[in-house]
Amino acid sequence: MRVSTYKDLIGQGIKGVWRNRMMSFASFCIMLVSLLLVGLTFLLALNLNRAIDSMEEKNEIVVIINDGVSQEQIDELGQSIQSLANISGCEFFSRDQAWQDMVADMTEEEKDLFQYADDNPLPDTYRVTVVDIETMGNTTVQISALENVESVKSPNEYADVLISIRNILTLVSTAIIAALVVVCLIIISNTTRASVFSRRKEINIMRYVGATNRFIRIPFFVEGMLIGVLAGVCSLFLTKFVYVGLYDILTNNMNILTALGISSLYSYDSIVKYVATAYIVAGAVIGAIGTTISTSKYCKV
Amino acid sequence: MIEFKDVSVTYSSTGVDALNDINLTINDGDFVFIVGESGAGKSTLIKLLQKEIDATSGKIMVNGFDLTSMKRRKIPNLRRTIGVVFQDYRLIPTMTVYENIAFVMRCVDAPKKYIKTRVPYVIGLVGLSDKADCLPEELSGGEQQRVALARALVNDPKLIIADEPTANVDPALTYGIFELLKGINACGTTVLVVTHDLSNVVHFGGRIIRLEKGSITIDQVFGGAEE
Ligand SMILES: Nc1ncnc2c1ncn2[C@@H]1O[C@H](COP(=O)(O)OP(=O)(O)OP(=O)(O)O)[C@@H](O)[C@H]1O
Ligand SMILES: [Mg+2]
Repeated sequence: MRVSTYKDLIGQGIKGVWRNRMMSFASFCIMLVSLLLVGLTFLLALNLNRAIDSMEEKNEIVVIINDGVSQEQIDELGQSIQSLANISGCEFFSRDQAWQDMVADMTEEEKDLFQYADDNPLPDTYRVTVVDIETMGNTTVQISALENVESVKSPNEYADVLISIRNILTLVSTAIIAALVVVCLIIISNTTRASVFSRRKEINIMRYVGATNRFIRIPFFVEGMLIGVLAGVCSLFLTKFVYVGLYDILTNNMNILTALGISSLYSYDSIVKYVATAYIVAGAVIGAIGTTISTSKYCKV
Repeated sequence: MIEFKDVSVTYSSTGVDALNDINLTINDGDFVFIVGESGAGKSTLIKLLQKEIDATSGKIMVNGFDLTSMKRRKIPNLRRTIGVVFQDYRLIPTMTVYENIAFVMRCVDAPKKYIKTRVPYVIGLVGLSDKADCLPEELSGGEQQRVALARALVNDPKLIIADEPTANVDPALTYGIFELLKGINACGTTVLVVTHDLSNVVHFGGRIIRLEKGSITIDQVFGGAEE
């Protein structure tokens, strides 16, 4: 087909959105809400994952051993720890070693200050790493119940909470995404079907005079995809609004983040490219598939 | 050229045998009347030519296309060789006479320049030059029919099919329409007219095929009063 023909067909598609404006607007709104829901859920999951990842890097439980226990008892404790489930490593860290490490990290001034300390105030510890951070809370409880353990410090008590949030989120969002995609496909295909219906006389003539499938369908594709892409673009702006708002609240109140053990969130600028692409591609693809459903049924040559 | 070999059509939804063992050859440049009572199978025959339906059995060739074996996506190519005047005209009510005709040229991707010269030409051919900017509802039945005819021939088809072209117009106009069809036929286009109206058939002459309950009972050339 000629380039000018393509232009005409695209123009017809754009006109179709307007001619069919009530339906177009309805499906635009539904797509907008759906894309927004999916997008925000996804961004939430993305940031949760980042938090969990950063926790997994320091998935070390520090087991503080009671003062004045014998080396034998210490070894015994080490063996009991290793016999627990979910343990990937258990390393003894003597108080002397800890002291040396600490001194090595000190500035000259601090060294001056501490050289008069008559005694090493640090305890003997075991540094325990776990296989699965999800059950770290459980493991911590088990260790603290062992003999000669003074206390157990796990880096993040919220890890398992965050992880269960993520797991639920993954489950729920998969279900929601599936449902929303179906809803979007139905609404788009209904919209283009209404458009096909309003032009059925023309389509009937087109078929008889030998218009190709492509010629007949392109305007409807343009229509469906345009609605999808517009919904994608608007979702992008709304997402920016919501995300930047939340980001500012959370990062300005460092307490919330540190309480949750999250070091940092993705900044909007760092992800905007991907978010934009995802929204627009999702809008266009859903528009195209929805149109295929309706046109393959109603405008066969 | 149209060739039917042992063609039968049974509508699966109702089990009606619309056509039984039709054997038929129509040469290029023929002027053919198909007559028959309601339900005889005339429209079924036309639908077969356009490959709107497929024969239950038998072999059909139309303008060099083998309809039994051709791919679906080639159907537009077949239809571009056929112009149809529908009984109810099927003009698009929101388009003017000019636009209705230009529309079908755009459908087959004709160049814009060609459309600009060709459309006025065919409008002139059917004698509607002064009505080119009218909407269909502003035209009489006979005028609408001539628009439909202009639209059927604008893409220069090899075959023109007219379904009941005289059904909705008064006898005086009928005459004019047949004159037009004769003129088109004289330029080499095959014309196939479906009609109840035997009086015109006899007056104009041509080949007459009579369908009865899905079978051909008469296939014969009449001289016509004119010649
Ligand atoms: N789509 C269809 N499904 C089932 N049966 C059909 C269908 N179309 C036509 N028929 C049947 O096939 C037979 C032939 O129909 P057809 O339309 O070819 O008749 P016709 O000669 O064109 O009649 P008319 O002069 O009334 O238009 C009829 O008995 C009709 O009921
Ligand atoms: Mg009929």
